[in-house]
Amino acid sequence: MLSPFDSYREIIPDYETFVEALQYPLPAHLRINLLKTEIAPVVRKMNARGVTLIPLSEKDPSLFLAPDPGLRGNFLDHVLGNIHFQALTSCLASLVLSPQPESLVLDLCASPGGKSSHMAQLMNNTGVIVANEPDLRRQVPLSHNLSRLGVLNTVMTRYQAQEFTLRQNFDYVLADVPCSGEGRFRFPGKTMWYGEPKRAEKLLELQKRIISRAFDLLRTGGVMVYSTCTYNPLENEGIVDALLKERRDAELLPIECGFPYAPGVLSWNKKVYERELQKAARFYPHQLDSVGFFVAKIARRE
Amino acid sequence: MLDESEEKALLGYLDERFGIPPEVFEDYFWFKREKTWWMVSASRLIEKASGLKISLVGLRAFTKIGGFIKPTTRMIQVFGKHAIKSRLEVGKDDLRRLLGGETLAIESRQENGYVILSHGGDILGLGLLLNNLVRSQLPRQYKKLLEPFLKPIP
Repeated sequence: MLSPFDSYREIIPDYETFVEALQYPLPAHLRINLLKTEIAPVVRKMNARGVTLIPLSEKDPSLFLAPDPGLRGNFLDHVLGNIHFQALTSCLASLVLSPQPESLVLDLCASPGGKSSHMAQLMNNTGVIVANEPDLRRQVPLSHNLSRLGVLNTVMTRYQAQEFTLRQNFDYVLADVPCSGEGRFRFPGKTMWYGEPKRAEKLLELQKRIISRAFDLLRTGGVMVYSTCTYNPLENEGIVDALLKERRDAELLPIECGFPYAPGVLSWNKKVYERELQKAARFYPHQLDSVGFFVAKIARRE
Repeated sequence: MLDESEEKALLGYLDERFGIPPEVFEDYFWFKREKTWWMVSASRLIEKASGLKISLVGLRAFTKIGGFIKPTTRMIQVFGKHAIKSRLEVGKDDLRRLLGGETLAIESRQENGYVILSHGGDILGLGLLLNNLVRSQLPRQYKKLLEPFLKPIP
């Protein structure tokens, strides 16, 4: 059977296993919210409800796999903000950025707030996170999640990400940009809804403008993460490559997250990317059972 | 930002009603907007955000209802663990009744006012105690959200 991703056969390692992995539903991952509770009592309570939690990371012990989440959002612990269901790879964007306590952080495309709240946890509710979301409708879940999760170090803004005011530079910037969302796709052949986004060209233009603005907003010596949940090199390496070519003070940093990933691709559709791009990370569902994801960690050189 | 006397009044209420000492709130800044009070982690960096067009700051902590100031559910869920009085632990049956709109009769010497409701040690939010009857002040959507949780485990 043809997979909608056959055009990526050359760049996805062990492609047949990748296609096989798409036959299975996305597993449920959750983060125990250390801003409100501790790990042991939540694990104990979830076990009592018949839910086994499997720890996933030594670097971040709050991340768990819940193989049979059953009631999902209707757990008391979810309602009270003690846990947050979030794709593991989505957590990795915050983990790769790892903002230090007492720093100034910008989350350019913050809704629904999973990454902002995770960063608040990593910073122990210190410093300031500017959680930006231009869409008024998407500000509602963002605000709801931040308050449910007991986040106390955020201010919310409503700028278009690509036009965020340049009045202030940040220690860290997270640009988890709008994308074609290929990484969320499962069950090829059963639900053939997947299609190229209609305005793919416009999406690429938007991504380019966002990464450029994110970099402009970094202080010298600051660090940013560019991430998407798509496999498309045009939206990933292509966008980061354009930044590296335009900005000689941009430098890719290696990614150490403790999870398996493939390096960024160095060429696509006859286009050759900067060699540095092999430092970027591609997370595939057959290597890490979660949403397909791309992460590049970029520093602004002194 | 809130002036000192207003901040003192808010923290004084939490101390008097719930026994939450004002020191718990030393590391926060307070803001007021119309009938709501907001709190945010006290960081020198907050000044750097002052040049931005901000839509919300931190956590909504109090709202004014009529002539009364009521702590929000979310604020109580974070700071209620420090309370040493005006607390009421409820079992599943009582919680189901409260969420269903019923009142709970309790024997209490506490003065009328808000009480912190907890279940299994987890802080849920507030109830209102009036003449030994407690009424839920929990968000209405909790009834639906907690329905599966309140069902007995088969």
